[in-house]
Amino acid sequence: MIRFENVTKVYDPNARPALDDVSLEIERGEFTFLVGASGSGKSTFLRLILKEDRATSGSVYVAGQNVANISSWRVPRLRRGIGVVFQDFRLLPQKNVFANVAFAMQVIGKSRSIIRETVPEVLKTVGLEGKEKRMPHELSGGEQQRVAIARAVVNRPGILLADEPTGNLDPITSMGIMGVLDKINQNGTTVVMATHDDDIVNEMRKRVVELRNGVVVRDEAKALYTSMIPVVGESRLLKDASDEELDRAPGGQQ
Amino acid sequence: MRLAFILGEIGSGLRRNLSMVVSVILVTFVSLTFVGAAGMLQMQINQMKGYWYDKVQVAIFLCNESSTSAGCASGAVTDEQRENLGKMLESPAVKQYISDFQFESQAEAFQHFKDQFSNSPIVDSVTQDQLPASFRINMKDPEKYQIISETFASQPGVETVSDQRQVLERIFVWMNGASVVAMGIAVVMIVCAVLLITTTIRLSAFSRRRETGIMRLVGASKTVIQLPFILEGVIAAVIGALLASGTLWLVTLWLNGDLSRQFLNTPFISSAQVLVVAPVLIALGGGLAGIASLLTLRRYLKV
Ligand SMILES: Nc1ncnc2c1ncn2[C@@H]1O[C@H](COP(=O)(O)OP(=O)(O)OP(=O)(O)O)[C@@H](O)[C@H]1O
Ligand SMILES: [Mg+2]
Repeated sequence: MIRFENVTKVYDPNARPALDDVSLEIERGEFTFLVGASGSGKSTFLRLILKEDRATSGSVYVAGQNVANISSWRVPRLRRGIGVVFQDFRLLPQKNVFANVAFAMQVIGKSRSIIRETVPEVLKTVGLEGKEKRMPHELSGGEQQRVAIARAVVNRPGILLADEPTGNLDPITSMGIMGVLDKINQNGTTVVMATHDDDIVNEMRKRVVELRNGVVVRDEAKALYTSMIPVVGESRLLKDASDEELDRAPGGQQ
Repeated sequence: MRLAFILGEIGSGLRRNLSMVVSVILVTFVSLTFVGAAGMLQMQINQMKGYWYDKVQVAIFLCNESSTSAGCASGAVTDEQRENLGKMLESPAVKQYISDFQFESQAEAFQHFKDQFSNSPIVDSVTQDQLPASFRINMKDPEKYQIISETFASQPGVETVSDQRQVLERIFVWMNGASVVAMGIAVVMIVCAVLLITTTIRLSAFSRRRETGIMRLVGASKTVIQLPFILEGVIAAVIGALLASGTLWLVTLWLNGDLSRQFLNTPFISSAQVLVVAPVLIALGGGLAGIASLLTLRRYLKV
């Protein structure tokens, strides 16, 4: 569903790359955690999938298509196939719950009858039945994030990208959100979630991809937030390589 | 659905930026009024040229009792002098340049004067003796005025030879100047309008960046994202153009009402001619606003 082939992303030529020769494949229907320290390149990874930014070198494939070959007027079509959720919810404060979700359908020209039919269904999926008329400021953080998730999936995208969706929420609320994301994943949507939250990752036991300074240092199925296994083999080499590069890079640590 | 959505967005955009939108309307209104005024002055000039150039005459004014010029030192024109002038006008040397001529007596001149200034108190203070008799000459070629002037100016009994066309030309030069000034003001005002539209659209794009960000993420097309902003500018400018057209229309009503009663012989442009100017103003206002918005959005609205 998503494939990175030797992808490097350089924002600032004087600093180390945000992503450094990343190769990775995420299968259709998979649930993947993207972990790593702040600045390790998680958001950059997600932005490249959305074609918000262009890879400096290497190729990004989404649903079999190289995003570099998608012309700018067809980028909207790519994005219709991808839902996105952020840490800060990004709801429209002057629209109620229903209207916030319906907005995502209106702007791509869905008919009123389809909207009236679909939005309540999706709100039910995320557990917000009966709260259609609430305004965002009348909702808790967890509920606001559920609205954001509903908006991200209402057009039935094949992929859901979540950039620290539980970053602003307490642990119990976060688990609720994880339940929603898991349910969406069960329905066949590929989910990629960037997170710092070790409890969540440890609880869920999904695939974990760890980035450090733009390099993939770990990729394990059903893994924990921090690896229990001592780093050996290829991962070891990768780790060393990144440390060396760190020393060479002028903006790197020491 | 998408249309309804875009219209709704325009509505909320206009309401949210009401004061800026009103200022765009007013600035385009004023600038396009000046553009229209310049255009209509040109129309007025053409219309007056068309009307007057057929009718303008060269007039040979004859001395009367109160004449003071050198040629009139011997007093009012005598019958003999007058007949002599008439004969000269009939002579082949002069006749080749003129199509016809009439003699206007002092009595006739006084009558014309009374007709022309019927509304003015000046009529009461003017007597028949004060007005000169004259020969009114229609030229074959108005450019040949100089020949008539040279031949007759120094003849006994002639006070002065005047070319009405020159008087008109002076008026046209003045009107032309006014239309150039109006156009100059219009250009400055249009620059203001474009800058204001640019700023308005930029503010509008900024205040709705959350919406447009979400639209981008869920895959709304460039058109759906940008059109509300562009139409917002265009609608404001078109309202300004309509106000300008309305104002010009009121001016023509005034010209053809009050003013035409005071200047009986002046052919003022009609209200119908505003129908020629109005579409130009609307196209100009809408077009400039559209282009300005588009260029602004390209810089300030990521899609
Ligand atoms: N638009 C940008 N311009 C320049 N540098 C950028 C830009 N975006 C990110 N970077 C840099 O790229 C690196 C990776 O950033 P990224 O946002 O992908 O990290 P992250 O893993 O998402 O971090 P966090 O967990 O704090 O969100 C950082 O060093 C950051 O400073
Ligand atoms: Mg990030």
